[in-house]
Amino acid sequence: MNEISSKVEETRMNFGYMGKILIADLSAREIREETIPDHVYEQYLSGMGLAACILYDRIPAGADPLGPENIIGFVSGLLTGTGSLFAGRWMVVGKSPLTGGWGEANCGGSFSPAIKRCGYDGIFFTGISEKPAYLYVNNGVAELRDASHLWGRDAVESEAMLIAETSANSRIAVIGPAGERLSLISGICNDRGRMAARSGLGAVMGAKRLKAVVLDGKKRIDVHNRAEIKRLSQICNRWVQFQPPIFAGPVTAYVGALMRILPVQMAMDGMVYKMLLKKWGTGAMNQMSVEMGDAPVRNWQGSNVDWGIKKSLSVNPDAIRRYEKVKYHCYACPLGCGGICVTKGKYGETHKPEYETVLSLGGLCMNADIDSIFHLNETLNRAGMDTISAGSTVAFAIECYEAGVLTKKDTDGLELTWGNSEAIVALIEKMIRREGIGDILADGSKVAARKIGKKAEASAMHAGGQELPMHDGRNDPGYNVHYSVEAAPGRHTVGAQMYYEMFQLWKVAKGLPRVKPLYFKGRKYVANEEKAVTAALCSKFMNIVNCAGLCLFGVFLGAKRTPTFSWLNAATGWSKTPEEYLDIGARIQTLKQAFNIKHGIDPRSFRPGDRVTGKPAQTEGANRGRSADMGKLITDYYRQFGWDPETGRPTEESIDRLRL
Amino acid sequence: MAYRITDKCNGCGACSRLCPADAITGNKNALHVIVADRCIECGACGRICPAAAVNDPFGISCAMVKRSLWERPQFDRMTCMSCRICIDACPVHCLGLSDVSTPGDPHGRPYMANERACIGCGFCVRECPVEAITMAVSQ
Repeated sequence: MNEISSKVEETRMNFGYMGKILIADLSAREIREETIPDHVYEQYLSGMGLAACILYDRIPAGADPLGPENIIGFVSGLLTGTGSLFAGRWMVVGKSPLTGGWGEANCGGSFSPAIKRCGYDGIFFTGISEKPAYLYVNNGVAELRDASHLWGRDAVESEAMLIAETSANSRIAVIGPAGERLSLISGICNDRGRMAARSGLGAVMGAKRLKAVVLDGKKRIDVHNRAEIKRLSQICNRWVQFQPPIFAGPVTAYVGALMRILPVQMAMDGMVYKMLLKKWGTGAMNQMSVEMGDAPVRNWQGSNVDWGIKKSLSVNPDAIRRYEKVKYHCYACPLGCGGICVTKGKYGETHKPEYETVLSLGGLCMNADIDSIFHLNETLNRAGMDTISAGSTVAFAIECYEAGVLTKKDTDGLELTWGNSEAIVALIEKMIRREGIGDILADGSKVAARKIGKKAEASAMHAGGQELPMHDGRNDPGYNVHYSVEAAPGRHTVGAQMYYEMFQLWKVAKGLPRVKPLYFKGRKYVANEEKAVTAALCSKFMNIVNCAGLCLFGVFLGAKRTPTFSWLNAATGWSKTPEEYLDIGARIQTLKQAFNIKHGIDPRSFRPGDRVTGKPAQTEGANRGRSADMGKLITDYYRQFGWDPETGRPTEESIDRLRL
Repeated sequence: MAYRITDKCNGCGACSRLCPADAITGNKNALHVIVADRCIECGACGRICPAAAVNDPFGISCAMVKRSLWERPQFDRMTCMSCRICIDACPVHCLGLSDVSTPGDPHGRPYMANERACIGCGFCVRECPVEAITMAVSQ
């Protein structure tokens, strides 16, 4: 059978991608397939690049993100289903109601291969359904079904009901009550609570009255050279499985403290990070990040001084791991950083809370109650609300309350003080139900600040409306650059100086800056051109990663150990060089930027507030005295793509050069 | 490329009942047809056909094999990395993933959850990146 399959594959034309998309017009209740020409894949790959191409062309300028003209797309990756490791990510794209511009959210789980098994590289929705509906694709037949009975139910419950009424093998992306109630910080779930959380795209689904996308396909995904992909995957897997015994969880805090104290820093090798992820998941960094200054504390006002080792001990990696009953792997992942945890309370079980969740509901709100974090993790996943934005918005509300901008009357009697876990839980439940103060906060901190008025805006920590993740740009200014310059701002999954160190792109592509193995920390804050070059390379490379459907943690291993470009060539039969792929990354970056310009976004408005960029610099803690010249870093970044350095608008020349 | 049914077909319907992709149509006792667009080339129709009426994509006639002699996946736990690719590749979804860890192994591992459903297509073997699955006749 295997030999026959190999021979069949040799005679096929499209490899790696399916060559088709599905478009559903919810207003007209029409579904159609569309064939995508090969040259589009050659120029934009698949996944996010394909989505950028479609959304730029088809969403009219000025379209209301919650209106019928907006398009929401679910795209798989070019490497998904090819045998390449870490290739299980799917992406949701659309015009973001949170930022008003390009919106994207990325998620693992099992939904990505299901899109391709149905024969598509992406599924797109336009229009608004008259009644709640879900799309069911089964064995080549797509239909819109009534979802009235699911409306109001949480994501996990809805998933179980959809499996019962379709097939035990259905893969489901679904919104919870937050998306239905058009919360601008809502996301989309799959696999019992894994979230494509950012950019508020759950609200776009809610506005379209699209409850879920249910897929059950069996198509084969053909590749050009499966033997080569397997060979590359086996080499990669050997790196992943190399796991020497490492220290106990609470020691991570002291490692972080040591990193804080030392005047020098070692360039990060992804193998170190991988070992931490394999043992604990992202929670490995819960204490370490606080100690080294990577995690914001007390709504970005505090530091490790306020949230020291003793206070954060309750969220140390071992404390989280005690709840884990089995590791959770996304599709095609050899690492398994996730976990299924057994918890107290009404839910009984939850996905292991990620670092971002623990810190946004923990240190950012000064909340050390681990049970409340587990409870909120599951509550927010089920509601389909972004844990980063929810935690940040609660921290914003607490700061307003402490400063007297909000009173007890405004909070419906809640004592919103730092670390009051009962009040935090109650507030988030109100946000999900859009009840009282919760209705004001359910759309994130920027909208809430505008509604509250007074001095509230100074407490809203966001970039272009999107709440900031738990990585402090005062520790690594690369984060602040990407929070400010990306088409979907305020996201930590694109770049940082540490990311460039781990990507090790200079090992596979010519002429790229190398990283010194040891350097003085002060160098991180020097706003020279090399910082812009490496930041632009991170953006370009992550576009390729998101086109391929790869996981960020996979590519952290380094470009040689996780052979992204070689996998792409082996899957498609192309013979592109890494430099050519990076050019494709630049093309996609410029197209996303052009999408924002088309929709009236001023790229300069994405820059986060002065507190986040260290103006004035903190006077104590790990990031004491740290800030960088963001203006220069941002204009230098724009130059790397040939955009206007002052306005961030792509120039005619840059558009011509990239053959957009 | 797809499997094809020849005029040797006696219309017994065994292939259409087994086909995981619902790619075979035809009335009882009449010639059956494989819809090429839907065929996933699993070969189950060829293995079940008592009249040797199925040709593979290269035109070679498939021989019937007694179902109890079909090869089925065997997992090497030491090589397996729990990536779930095999579970996704299976067109009849006969594989499961254990949802509890065992002492010294915190990862869930794939196992044959429904042996009767297995059609012996070998897609799990084909897609496993680390060669942790082999096909063998169950004892």
